[in-house]
Amino acid sequence: MNTPVIDFHSHIARWERYGHYDEPGRYLRLMDAAGIDRSLVSCIFYGDARRNNDAVAEFVAANPDRFYGVAFSTPHYPAEVVPELERCFDTLGMKFLKIYPDYFGKPNDDPAYFPMYEFLNDRGLAVKAHPSYPFDPPGTTLVRRYAALAERFPGVTWVLAHAAGSGSPDAIEAARAVPSVYLETCGSGGAHNGVKASVDGAGADRVLFGTDMPLLDARHQIAKVTTADISDEAKQRVLGLNAIQLLGLEL
Amino acid sequence: MGEVDLDFEPTVPVFDANVALGRRHDKPVAVDTADGVLRVMDDSGVDRALVYAPHAVTYDPRDGNAMLVEQIGGEPRLVPQFVCSPVFDRLDDFADEVEAAGVRSVRMVPGLHSYPFRDWVVGRWLDWMADTRTPVWLHTQWQTWLSGGDNLDPRDVYETLKARPDVTAVLSEVKYDDISWALSLLRSLPNLHVEISRFVVGGGIEYLLEAAGESRIMFGSRFPDSAMPLHLYGLHHSGLSDETLRAICAGNLDRLLAGEGDRP
Repeated sequence: MNTPVIDFHSHIARWERYGHYDEPGRYLRLMDAAGIDRSLVSCIFYGDARRNNDAVAEFVAANPDRFYGVAFSTPHYPAEVVPELERCFDTLGMKFLKIYPDYFGKPNDDPAYFPMYEFLNDRGLAVKAHPSYPFDPPGTTLVRRYAALAERFPGVTWVLAHAAGSGSPDAIEAARAVPSVYLETCGSGGAHNGVKASVDGAGADRVLFGTDMPLLDARHQIAKVTTADISDEAKQRVLGLNAIQLLGLEL
Repeated sequence: MGEVDLDFEPTVPVFDANVALGRRHDKPVAVDTADGVLRVMDDSGVDRALVYAPHAVTYDPRDGNAMLVEQIGGEPRLVPQFVCSPVFDRLDDFADEVEAAGVRSVRMVPGLHSYPFRDWVVGRWLDWMADTRTPVWLHTQWQTWLSGGDNLDPRDVYETLKARPDVTAVLSEVKYDDISWALSLLRSLPNLHVEISRFVVGGGIEYLLEAAGESRIMFGSRFPDSAMPLHLYGLHHSGLSDETLRAICAGNLDRLLAGEGDRP
């Protein structure tokens, strides 16, 4: 079947230890094999946000019909946050923000992110992040976290990376309770009926397909959706239609 | 627009090299009966599955292996694999149990069972495996909430199997982040094979084909912890020849269970 396929979660740059290479020819071959039209790529490895975003812009410019850029920001250099976000969205044409709370050492609702969230809130943009943090205090739930964030920043769309592949009840509950929460499918696992549970629980319009390329293989990741026990209409929404609608993409 | 296959079915016979059958003590299991596994196999286009008992891993091999035989109930599509541990030297009893059950492969879990995979621990067992041409699956990591994850030491695998070219072994559940050693290990040991259930790294099948060749790669799903058809879909969308696809999806496992592993 021909249907728009948008990878909401992929990366660039090199990470030798994991065989994480972004050579464009190889990248495109794997995307083609999986049937992916376009990938939303971020770079998250460098401590300097500007360096990450420049790398993304350069990568996208080489194949603008296959990639969109995703902005990166770090809370460790707060004075740089807003100017760099302005550059990303006003000059580089990036589509949403990716942050990396578990690597930053600060949970998603740490006030250090609030300048970013305020920026996104003012412009009605989305942020994607790993949804939990290893050192969350006992009793932390995603529904409480995102209900509070959504109340404070109602214009932000919250995309919970890696949250849809396992069918996590906590993530599904957060999506049910908070209309601005979306769940994304990629991850090294792939639970039996994980995507089905997410679609059945959160709704087909709230699940986004992602791969984590080139760390993980697009062909394996897309099978979580294509082989899921859900309707073809739901598969099409998850594979691309939701991303197109959420980000206002034009293929 | 992306060309995707929403009604995927395998085009070749499929023999899954890594399925667990039965309940676990540490978490609920999505599908824990033989009938349930068979239904998922039917839905996924899997003809046969090599199954072991998680109880035989987490607690007692003898109890777990007996439970496995009971659960399989003679169903020919579920091919039993016994777990063994050299902790107590009961090889003769184990060999009798293997023969009585018609078992053609075994699984060792040195990490969780807390022993080094070295000749001074497993030597007698490897002698038996070589004599009977019984391949051994080496479980790379077993994760529980209690253990967190006990890893197979690749240095032990290298030293032991290098000196034992007559033993056929299979790396089982080698993970994407084990790429830092797994490819080198496969290149170094012609008697080492791999089942791909957790090897989900980008371009993984191409890496394995380069390192091990098509004759030492086997489809495995890690069902029920992972969905059964994911790697099958990936393999069918990797531009492999029909011959290679057949080998990886079933032929190589059939060959190993027939005692025909690659030997130098």
